[in-house]
Amino acid sequence: MTNLNTIDPAAILDEGKIENDDVVIGKSRIILRRFLRNRTAVAGLVIFLTLTLFSFIGGFFSSWDKETIDPFNIGMPPSAEHLLGTSQAGIDLYALTVEGTRVSILIGVVVGLVSVLIAAVYGCTMAYFGRKVDKVMLFILEALIMMPALLVVAVATSGGANGLKNTVPSWLLLIIVLLVFSWMGTARLIRSLSLSLMQRDFVKAAQYMGIPPRRIVWRHLVPNIGSLLVLEVTRGVTGAILAEVAFSFIGIGIKVPDVSLGVLIGQSTSQVSTFPWMFWAPLIVMFLLTGSLAMMNDGLRDAFDPSSSSVGRTKRGGARIGRAVTGKTQKTSK
Amino acid sequence: MTSNTTAPDTAQSTAERLRVAGLHAPTDAVLSVRDLNVRFNTENGVVHAVRGIDFDVLPGKTLGIVGESGSGKSVTSMAIMGLLPPTAEISGSVRLKGKELLGLSDKAMCRHRGNDLAMVFQDPLSSLTPVYTVGTQIVEALTVHNPTMSKQAKEARAVELLGLVGIPSPKDRLKAFPHEFSGGMRQRVMIAIAIANNPRVLIADEPTTALDVTIQAQVLEVLHAAQEETGAAVVMITHDLGVVAGMADDIMVMYAGRPVETGSVDDIYYSSRMPYTMGLLGAVPRVDIAEKTSLVPIEGIPPNLAHPPTGCSFAPRCPLASEACLDGEPDLREVASGTAHSAACIKTEALADVDAHAIFAAPAVPVSRFDRLPRHERKTVLELRDVRKHFPLMKGALLKRRIGTVKAVDGLSFDIREGECFSIVGESGCGKTTTLLEIMEFHKDQDGEVVIGGLSNKHAADAKAKGAMRRELQMVFQDPTGALDPRFTVYEVLAEPMENLGMPKPAIRKRIMELMELVGLQADHVNRFPNQFSGGQRQRIGIARALAVNPRLVVLDEPVSALDVSVQAGVINLLDKLRAELGLSYLMVAHDLSVVRHISNRVAVMYLGKIVEIGDVDAVFDNPRHPYTRALLSAIPVPDPELERTRERIILQGDLPSPLEAPAGCNFATRCPVFAALPPAKQEKCLTLEPALELAAVDQQFACFYPDGELDADMVVVHEDH
Repeated sequence: MTNLNTIDPAAILDEGKIENDDVVIGKSRIILRRFLRNRTAVAGLVIFLTLTLFSFIGGFFSSWDKETIDPFNIGMPPSAEHLLGTSQAGIDLYALTVEGTRVSILIGVVVGLVSVLIAAVYGCTMAYFGRKVDKVMLFILEALIMMPALLVVAVATSGGANGLKNTVPSWLLLIIVLLVFSWMGTARLIRSLSLSLMQRDFVKAAQYMGIPPRRIVWRHLVPNIGSLLVLEVTRGVTGAILAEVAFSFIGIGIKVPDVSLGVLIGQSTSQVSTFPWMFWAPLIVMFLLTGSLAMMNDGLRDAFDPSSSSVGRTKRGGARIGRAVTGKTQKTSK
Repeated sequence: MTSNTTAPDTAQSTAERLRVAGLHAPTDAVLSVRDLNVRFNTENGVVHAVRGIDFDVLPGKTLGIVGESGSGKSVTSMAIMGLLPPTAEISGSVRLKGKELLGLSDKAMCRHRGNDLAMVFQDPLSSLTPVYTVGTQIVEALTVHNPTMSKQAKEARAVELLGLVGIPSPKDRLKAFPHEFSGGMRQRVMIAIAIANNPRVLIADEPTTALDVTIQAQVLEVLHAAQEETGAAVVMITHDLGVVAGMADDIMVMYAGRPVETGSVDDIYYSSRMPYTMGLLGAVPRVDIAEKTSLVPIEGIPPNLAHPPTGCSFAPRCPLASEACLDGEPDLREVASGTAHSAACIKTEALADVDAHAIFAAPAVPVSRFDRLPRHERKTVLELRDVRKHFPLMKGALLKRRIGTVKAVDGLSFDIREGECFSIVGESGCGKTTTLLEIMEFHKDQDGEVVIGGLSNKHAADAKAKGAMRRELQMVFQDPTGALDPRFTVYEVLAEPMENLGMPKPAIRKRIMELMELVGLQADHVNRFPNQFSGGQRQRIGIARALAVNPRLVVLDEPVSALDVSVQAGVINLLDKLRAELGLSYLMVAHDLSVVRHISNRVAVMYLGKIVEIGDVDAVFDNPRHPYTRALLSAIPVPDPELERTRERIILQGDLPSPLEAPAGCNFATRCPVFAALPPAKQEKCLTLEPALELAAVDQQFACFYPDGELDADMVVVHEDH
C-alpha cells in the first residue's frame, strides 16, 4: 500500500516536470517554439494585441468623444486639436476610429469564437451519430451554404425587421446574422476530421473496452481536434471582420449612429480626393487588423503542422522527437 | 568537419581517411560512397543521422544494408539519390562510375535518377500516379532519358519490361491503371520502371516490407531476375535479416548512423563479431526450427544522434560493455587481415565462437501451470461455431443490385483452451482480421455462435452480458502509436478501462503500479505521454491496458509487426512470460510465421475465409499437408544464407483471387501447385467438390484431396548457383 502514495493526482496534471526533461519536449512547447521562431507571426500577434489595447484605452488620450460635434472644425484635416482631423459632421475622427476598431474587433472575435464552437458541436455530433442524423444535418448545412447571405443580411438589418432593430443594437444584429452564415465550412471540416479520428485504433480500443460513445467523443475526439479549432478561430475572426467591413461599406451592416471601420470607410469613399484623411485612417487600421491576423494564422499553421519544414535551430536537445521529424521529412520527400 | 563526431584518439583528418579508403577502393566499383555524413536540423538540435559511411558496390553484386529504424539506412539511400530535403546537410563523396554526385544540382541529378541510378520504394500503393496508365508511366521513364526513341520502340520496350517482371499478358495490361493492380503487381511495375533504362545501380528500399510473404517471395524473385537481366549493382535496404540472407553478396550492418559490421553474407551470419549483429541474429525467431528457446532481447533504445556518442554507440545496450568501450567510438577494423570482414568493436577477437544467447542472457523459457495438463482437460475460453460474415457486393449508381457476395469469413469453427496461444495466419484478405472483429463485436444477429468464457452471443447479448464479456476479452492492437490517445498520459490510458468498470480510485492506482511492473516499465513513467516512449515501450503500455481488467483471453492483432527486430524479441518474450505467469490465453493474428511458430501452441491457416489447415503448431509447420501451408512456409526467407541458397521454394502464381471469382470447389485450386500438376481427371474433383477438414495426426486437420500430390515444376524455384 505504501507505493500508492507515489502517484499524486496533482502530479499527473503536472506536465511541466516532464517538459523540462532534456530528452522529450512537450507538444505545446514545440508549437510555441515554432510560432515564436516565425518573426512575421509574432509581429502579427503584437500588432493585433496593440490594436485591441488601442481600441479600449485609445479614448482616454483624446478629450473628444464620438458624439460631440466640434462646430468650429468641420471637415478639417489633422491638427493638434484633432489628431486625425474631423468628419463632415464635425466629429473627431480619432474618437470615431477608436470606437469603430472596437466594434469591428468585437464583432470579429465574437463571431470567430462562437461560430467555431457551433461548428465543433455540430460537426462532432454529425460524425458521432452518423447515418440518418448525419444525412439530415448535412442537408441543413448544405441548404445554409446555398442561402444568399447578402440578401438575408440586408433584410435583417434594414427594412424587414423594424421591431427588432429598435430593441437590438445594429452590431449585435450583425453578429447574429454573421454567425448564422459563418460556421458551415468549419463544421464540415470538423465532421470529416472526426470521422477519420473515429477510425483510429485508440477510439476502437475504447469501444472494445466498453466505454460509452459520449465519453469517447468528449475524451478522445474533441481534444484531438484542438489545434484545428485554434486555427479556425483566427481564420474566423479575419473573415468576420472582413464581412463586417464589406457589409457596412455597402450600407447594409452597421448603421449610423453606430460606427465601425466599415461604416467609416463607406462614408468617406465618395470624397477621397477632398477629404483623404477620413478614408485612409480607418482603412489603414483595417489593413493592420486583418493583416496581423493573417500573419498570425500563417505562423500558427506552420507551428501545428507536424510535417512543416520549420527546422530547429542548433540547441541542445533530445532524441525521440528529433528522429520523428527526420522520419517525416523523408516520407514527404518520397 | 567530422572532428566533433570522431573521438580524439581515432581522429584522422577527413582527407586522410578518404585517401586511405580510396586506395583500397576497387577501381571497377559502379557506386562508391566515401565518408558520407548527413545532418538534420530539428527542434532538438542537429541530428547527425548518417555518420561516415564507406562502401563500394560492384556490378552484378548485391549489397544488403541492414539496420533498425533510425539507424540511417534510408537516409543513406536518399542521400545517394539526391532526394533529401534541402534542409539536410550532406557531406562526403558519392561517386557513380567515377563521377561525383554530391553537390550536383537537382537538374543534373535528374539525368542520373531513373537512368543509371534507379530506386524501388517501399510502398507500392503510393508510388504510382493513379491517374495515368502503367504503360504511360513506363513510357514516361523511357522518354525522359531517351528523347529520340520512337513511340513504337518505347511501347515495345514497355511490353518487354512488363513481361520481364512477370506480369501476364503485358500487352493488354499496359492500358491498365494502377488501381487495377494488386500491391505485388504494382511493385513489379515499379521494378519495371526502375530497370527501364538499364540502370547501373538499383537501390531497393525495403521493397517487400509492405507485401505478403507469398508476394514477397514473388517480388524477390523478380528483383533477382531484373538484376540478372541488367547486370546492375543492387543496394538492398531492409530490416529483415531473412530477406537479405538469400539476396545479398555483402552485408553492411548499420547502427546509430554508422556501419558497425561489414562483410560477406557468410561472415555476417556465421561468424559475426559485433555484439549488435549477434543480438540481431538471435532476436529473429526461426520458422524452420521447433526448438523452444527464448529470443535474445536487446535492452534499451538506440542512442540519440543529436548528442554525438563519446564511446561505442552500442555500449549502453551491450552486455559486454566495459570501461574501455566508453572511451572513444571504435572504427571499423578488419577481423582477420586480408578479408573484407570488419567490425567496429574492440572485443572482436574475443567474440570468435560465442553464442548470442549466452551474451545477452536470454531469459529462461517460462512454463505455464496449464502446460502440464492435457489439452482436453483444460477449460474452453473461446469457442466459435460456424461463424460466417458475408458482405453483399453491390453495383450500380442509382439502383443498387447485388452482383455477388464476399465471403470474408465462411464457416469458421475453433476453440481456445486455457493457457494456450492460438494463431491465425494467412495472406492479407484471407479474413483473419474480420474473424477478430466478429469476436469483438459479440452481437446477437451474427451468423454463427461465439462463446466467450461460457457466455454465448445467442443467449446473452444484452448490455450486462456484454460488460461481463469485455472483462474476459481484451485486445492489443497492431500499431502501438495509433492505439494510444496521444493526449492521454500513461496513467489515464491505463485507468480508462478500470474507471469504466467503476473501480475505486485507490484500487486503480494500485493496479496501475502492478501493471507497470508486470510489463517491465518504470513506475514513475505513468505521468508521461505516449509519444515520449519508444515503439516497444508503447506496445508494452498497450499490453498493460489490455491486462488492466484481468481478462482471461487477450486478442493480439499483429502485436509485433510494427516493431523493430530487437524490440520485437523483448515484446515476444514478455507475451510468453505473461501467458505462463497469469495463465492467459491468446488469440493472435499475424502474418509473420516465424513469430507465430515461436509463440503459439496451435495454429490455423486461413485462405479466402476458410481454415485450410489447423492443428498443433509443430505438427503443422514441420509436416504441412495442405499445399497452401507448404507454399506459405516455403515463402518465408530464413536468416541462414547456406539454406537460402539451396532450398527449394514454391513460388505461388498470382494473387488471392477476387471474391467474385472464387471457385466452386476447393478455392485454392486457381493457385495450387499440386492442382496444376494433376491429370485432368483428378482436377475435376478439386473443381467441383469442396474438401472438408480431415484428420491427419492427433492434432492436425487439413482440407485437401491430394495432400501428397506432386508439385508443379513451374512453381518450384531452386537457386543452384548464386
